[in-house]
Amino acid sequence: MKPISLGSIENPGLAIEKPETPEVAEGFGAALKEAVSKVDAMQVDADAQSQALAGGDGNLHETMLALEKADVAMKVAMKVRNKILDAYNEVMRMSV
Amino acid sequence: MDFLTALQISGSGLSAQRTRVNIAASNLANAESTRGPDGQPYKRHDPILAAVPFEAQLDAANQAHGGSQGAVGVEVQHIVEDPSPGRKVYLPGHPDSDANGFVTFPNVNPINETVNLLTASRGYEANATAVETLKSMAQRALDIVR
Repeated sequence: MKPISLGSIENPGLAIEKPETPEVAEGFGAALKEAVSKVDAMQVDADAQSQALAGGDGNLHETMLALEKADVAMKVAMKVRNKILDAYNEVMRMSV
Repeated sequence: MDFLTALQISGSGLSAQRTRVNIAASNLANAESTRGPDGQPYKRHDPILAAVPFEAQLDAANQAHGGSQGAVGVEVQHIVEDPSPGRKVYLPGHPDSDANGFVTFPNVNPINETVNLLTASRGYEANATAVETLKSMAQRALDIVR
């Protein structure tokens, strides 16, 4: 039977390599930013079409579809946000 | 973005049916118009609908996604005039009567136009129902993560 070695503690040279996190973090941030800007674009489109409709020149059902799209996109974003927050809270509740 | 694709296709259907309603309404309104901008009696209009593949309207990112495969929207390609002759009525006192006292009325049959109006309205309803179904499907999908 081999004695348990404490080599890694005594020798810092054997320390576990740090994973490259910055790239991943940027990827997630960028993805989030892109998603938010897409949702925002739909809101802006729906807003513009509503204004055109109220101004007299606009397409009724196209406006309704734009509103619907914006609504669904917003709901999806909210669900994703809630899910992320749930995960975060779960981690924060973890007793250390 | 499959969901949005279907929404846009239903939108094209709604637009096409609304155009049909517009044309049927103008045919009905002009069923007795004996002169138009060109001095001739009104000619009945007819919309020509065409299927347009949806892929052409999408950007490369969505095409690679394959979300809209086989999706075909609809479009009113052009509006043609019905060349059939109008009905002639003997009205010698009418300002639009010809040398023999006959007035040419438009070739519009109000019964046909009413049926067109009805089918277009039903078509509009069908497309609106498709949108409604899509909406409830999306809602159902969102409820998965509740």
